[in-house]
Amino acid sequence: MLRTLSTRFLIAAALAGVLAACSGEGGADTASDAAAPSAEVAAVLKAREDNFEGIGDAFKAMRGELEKDTPDFALIAAKASDINTRAGKIEGHFPAGTSVDDGYKTEALPSIWQKPDAFKAAAQKLVDESGKLVTVAGEGDKAATGAQAMAMGGACKGCHDQFRLDDKK
Amino acid sequence: MNGSLGEGATPTAMGPTDTRVWDPLLRISHWSFALLIPLMWWTAENSKWAWHKRIGLVLLGVLVFRLLWGFLGPETARFSSFVKGPSEVIAYLRGKSAPASEIGHSPIGGWSTAVLIGAMLAQVSMGVFAGDPFDGMTGPLNPLVGVLTADTITELHETFFWVIAGLIGLHLSAIIFYAVRGNDLVSPMVSGDRPPIEGVTGIGPMPWGRALLAIGLAAGFALWVANGAPPLT
Repeated sequence: MLRTLSTRFLIAAALAGVLAACSGEGGADTASDAAAPSAEVAAVLKAREDNFEGIGDAFKAMRGELEKDTPDFALIAAKASDINTRAGKIEGHFPAGTSVDDGYKTEALPSIWQKPDAFKAAAQKLVDESGKLVTVAGEGDKAATGAQAMAMGGACKGCHDQFRLDDKK
Repeated sequence: MNGSLGEGATPTAMGPTDTRVWDPLLRISHWSFALLIPLMWWTAENSKWAWHKRIGLVLLGVLVFRLLWGFLGPETARFSSFVKGPSEVIAYLRGKSAPASEIGHSPIGGWSTAVLIGAMLAQVSMGVFAGDPFDGMTGPLNPLVGVLTADTITELHETFFWVIAGLIGLHLSAIIFYAVRGNDLVSPMVSGDRPPIEGVTGIGPMPWGRALLAIGLAAGFALWVANGAPPLT
């Protein structure tokens, strides 16, 4: 009898677990209590996430190229140019009231709005470094291009360290 | 240990000596999968990457232990005893079963076990290479592969979760299928024992020496991977 009961309990618990998992999936973010954004905010969040994703993908493609013996410098320059354009859009992607503390599922820290000048300077650094990379890559020197790509990566990191939620914890 | 779940019941109803079918380390490994896999999913969904990495390395250790236990463990833990050829699987599916081999995995359950372990190993193996050092957490062996290879592995790691989820669904369905037909597979996986069968002795005493060897090797391997697989010389 006990065996049957324990089995039923375990199966029920397992099913409950599966169902809970499914509902967690559908509710997107019940676990972290994120508010459902209005259509307007959702569009802001999506546009800026897509922009940063684009920067990340371009940087990744460039690093992949730099791992090769004979990198395609035209491709690196094109990716740097793409990053340069996207970097110029960053500042406009952070209207007030769209931080993680406003209850949205975003990694944008409130420090962006608390230190607007520092944030603007950090975004400008990426514009500058990516612009420099377009030039350096055009010269076709692997070591110099690699060094400038890493300098640009430093601009990404510098901004993330101050203004992006650290999800490595 | 014997009949720990049944102690409150009347011994005559349960039979005086149940048959030991699963050893304690096999059961701990099994239930740790049931705990750790949902945790891996949750930490990934909620961007708790440091925990995802730590728990993943624990899971790697448990999986490597289970792999070694498949060679060093008692009879029912061994791959050689439960990974059967196609003829036996087909015979089992047609309803034939040899009573003497009724402890341990069935011919189809054996394959289910092998596939589940293989899929989990594939998933953690991808995980240790996954990520991007410029964008959040990376697996400990990420520096050993190129950035684009790591990117491909990361995407595959994400997609492959659904293969794992599907296999778990199949696994739970099979357990329910057998439960409905009156075959309780869960209680023996909890207590290690099942009601006695005529002429079946169950697994022998726990080989603790080999158990310590398997645990030590598995923990050592997981720690080595956690440290980025440094040269051993």
